[in-house]
Amino acid sequence: MAHVAPEIFNGLILGAFFAVVAIGLSLIMNLTGTINLAHGSFMTLAGYLAFAMVSAGTNWWFALAAAPILTVIVGVAVERTLIRPLYRRDPVYSLLLTFGLSLIAEEVYRLIWGTNGVPFSPPPSLQGSVSLGFTDFPAFRLFIAGALLVIIVALVVFLQRTRLGLRLRAAVQDSEMIAALGTNTQLLYMLNFGLGILIAGVAGVLAAGLLGLNPQSGNALLMPAFVTVIVGGMGSLLGAVAGGLLIGVAISVTTLFLPAFSEIVMYILMAVILLIRPRGLFGEEGIFG
Amino acid sequence: MRMSNRAGLIAALVLLVLLILTPQIAPLLHLAISVCTEVLLFAIAAMAVNLLIGYTGVLPFGNAAFFGLGAYGAGLTIQFWHVKFFSSIGLGVLAALIGAFLIGPFLLRRRGIYFSLLFIAFGQVFYFLAYRFTDITGGEDGMNFARPVIEGTSFSPPDGSFYYMMLGFFVLIGILFWLLVRSPFGRSLIAIKENETRARYLGLDTDRFIFVALLISAAIEGLAGACYGLSIMFADPLQLDWHQSGNFVLMTILGGSGTIFGPFIGSLIFVIGSDILSSAIPWWQIPLGALFVVCVLGFPKGILGTILDALEKRRGGFGYEARDTLHGTVASEREIQP
Amino acid sequence: MSDVIFQAENIVKHFGGVHAVEDVSLSVIAGSIQAIIGPNGAGKSTLFNALSGFYKCDSGKVTFKGVDITTAPIHRRIAMGMGRTFQTSSIFPNLSVYDNLLIGLQSAANLAFRFRPVDATQHKTIEEKAERLLDFVNLKASAHRPVAELAHGSQRLCEIAMSLSTDPVLVMLDEPMAGLAHAETTRVVEVIRKLHSELGLTVLFVEHNMRVVLSLAQRIMVLDRGRVLAEGTPAEISANEAVRDAYIGKEVIESV
Ligand SMILES: Nc1ncnc2c1ncn2[C@@H]1O[C@H](COP(=O)(O)OP(=O)(O)O)[C@@H](O)[C@H]1O
Ligand SMILES: [Mg+2]
Repeated sequence: MAHVAPEIFNGLILGAFFAVVAIGLSLIMNLTGTINLAHGSFMTLAGYLAFAMVSAGTNWWFALAAAPILTVIVGVAVERTLIRPLYRRDPVYSLLLTFGLSLIAEEVYRLIWGTNGVPFSPPPSLQGSVSLGFTDFPAFRLFIAGALLVIIVALVVFLQRTRLGLRLRAAVQDSEMIAALGTNTQLLYMLNFGLGILIAGVAGVLAAGLLGLNPQSGNALLMPAFVTVIVGGMGSLLGAVAGGLLIGVAISVTTLFLPAFSEIVMYILMAVILLIRPRGLFGEEGIFG
Repeated sequence: MRMSNRAGLIAALVLLVLLILTPQIAPLLHLAISVCTEVLLFAIAAMAVNLLIGYTGVLPFGNAAFFGLGAYGAGLTIQFWHVKFFSSIGLGVLAALIGAFLIGPFLLRRRGIYFSLLFIAFGQVFYFLAYRFTDITGGEDGMNFARPVIEGTSFSPPDGSFYYMMLGFFVLIGILFWLLVRSPFGRSLIAIKENETRARYLGLDTDRFIFVALLISAAIEGLAGACYGLSIMFADPLQLDWHQSGNFVLMTILGGSGTIFGPFIGSLIFVIGSDILSSAIPWWQIPLGALFVVCVLGFPKGILGTILDALEKRRGGFGYEARDTLHGTVASEREIQP
Repeated sequence: MSDVIFQAENIVKHFGGVHAVEDVSLSVIAGSIQAIIGPNGAGKSTLFNALSGFYKCDSGKVTFKGVDITTAPIHRRIAMGMGRTFQTSSIFPNLSVYDNLLIGLQSAANLAFRFRPVDATQHKTIEEKAERLLDFVNLKASAHRPVAELAHGSQRLCEIAMSLSTDPVLVMLDEPMAGLAHAETTRVVEVIRKLHSELGLTVLFVEHNMRVVLSLAQRIMVLDRGRVLAEGTPAEISANEAVRDAYIGKEVIESV
């Protein structure tokens, strides 16, 4: 069993990525009815921006903070100019638009940074490994696990404890009511989109160091994130976390024992969970409950 | 159709004549006949999407799964069972239908964007099956197979005759589609699109209607996919991928969803456009993506929808045929509702 | 004639912490016309939605024509003879009035699932029924206009005609006069009166306008914060102290 424990830990890290991406997706999806197919492209963008900064000689830690912020600026610009006109329209339009954007983004990354991936290693301080008693573990993975945990906890606290967070949740439930209360809905939509992209950006930089960085690397996390949203229960914050971790562990463990099924396992899990609980694990709890 | 019946019929006949002459015209335009075949097949595939978007009001972003199942259904049965031409197409359609039967019940539980999300995810299952079971499907590299002979003959249609056979399918599906959306069943679907709650309170078991619409859509999509497989004699996982679904949805919206000819117009622009672009510039995905953006922001009703609207404004009509509707025509072409 | 055609027992419906409907019971007598009143947020619409299958009841039992329909799907309730309208008109906005009716008519004639065109006799029957419905709500002149283009009151009437298209015995109307101008209100009131007097249907309706309720209804139930506050004839209700205090402006009752 000694070799299973690290795999489970790796699965938890992978799952935490899924959870974080899924939360960003659900934030945007639930408030504005937009399935953001360009979400993965924003992750990739943050990764490449961080890579460019580090290549230009900046500190990795600086890049970890700056790249997501730049990505948010791009994201908010896209939201204000392209996505906003679509909020009151059929969701097919925002789906097509974000799909088109992801096609453009992928090609742009390819033109600038090449078709193949670029090497983007973690900073020296995070290389090497740490002894966990029963096994040695790469320090970078431990750091990522900690960072993702911090993001998730911060999000939960933000959405459930702060005034802005509560407004966001209220707006998700009833955007007309919030508008009637005098909250600026457009501003709220923008902040919400920016928040979704910010999380995606941080996850994108972290993922670039761990899972590789190429024009499609962010998109690779998109489908597991969709499945995470479905398994967890659409609209549930807790569900996204539980669903992501469950899927991450399932994938890791399957990779170890039945590698042929490693991609299929999350879909099997999804079908089984929907058969037992049609609304997903926490689907009945209401929005972001 | 919003156009009067006669105008629509004339347009259809002109189009048919052009399509019959296409093998003669295409070389003058430096178009390969296989590209023309692709236009027809993608138009059929987009019609399947149109049935769901334009007439039922559900958003299929996983329809390519049925397209790819059609292609693999044909390819695998040719490869392993050595079935003949039409049987392979029939088995491709069957494969798509089975796929729809399996995932349909999951999709029907939700509506709106959640339906799309489930559709994307469940559609992707088939992508990974094709991708992973390399021994059977050839995995990522796809599988090559030969175009089989037609039943009872030793004739395997070359590209030229193949085009005309596909034109036959295109016309057949077009007519059936036209009849379908005018049938009582088609009216019920339009009602569901307009307001599902009201449709339920008029006694329609809407889940059943949407499920059957999904099956019909899958069968049409499977037909297009099987024929596409036979056309290029190849099946690969990308034919099942949600990116392909996105392309079909774009064709539908670009041409005009909820119109009979819209999907064809969308397919024509998409296929010819990407054919020209991809041979001209290596970064052709950028103009392709830009096409998505321009279509969504500039032509939300699609090319045909915009033209029909303009014509109507000139005539000053409502866009609704004032006549009996069980046999006649009603507003089946509308902008997608928010 | 005191057959109970529709009965609800101890209906409960909560939304998270909101106790929208709390232990409400109700009987509707065949052929009668009954009203539910109550202030905004009292749970009237929620009760309607729970009774008509739009929401699942948290608990309680609903019987229609002696059959337990608590968990029956909506289309089965319609087939049994229930029809309803919504507080905000629920119509097919882009279809003509005629087509709006057609959907229900072909559904009632078991033709909705048909792939072939209907034959001439069926078509004629449907057309005649449509004519009668259009006459009944007086919308013949607008029959071929998209409903979205009609005035609010006409949309209401169209919705009522739609709810009749499936041959119901019980019609449930949720605030049919909400948001209507005075002249339109009169038209709708007339139609509701005719539902009962001409067509002999059982009518259950929610209404705000006390004048209308007291003049139309044979029995009235008052809801307040999800609970039944009072029940009785119009005379009993207008005399009820609790009702006066809790909800109804005294002038309104006195002015009737
Ligand atoms: N879908 C819903 N989700 C949450 N709360 C609801 C929902 N529908 C109604 N409510 C709440 O239930 C209560 C009763 O509402 P409603 O039945 O619409 O009242 P009425 O029709 O009497 O005005 C209100 O407090 C309302 O906010
Ligand atoms: Mg109400």
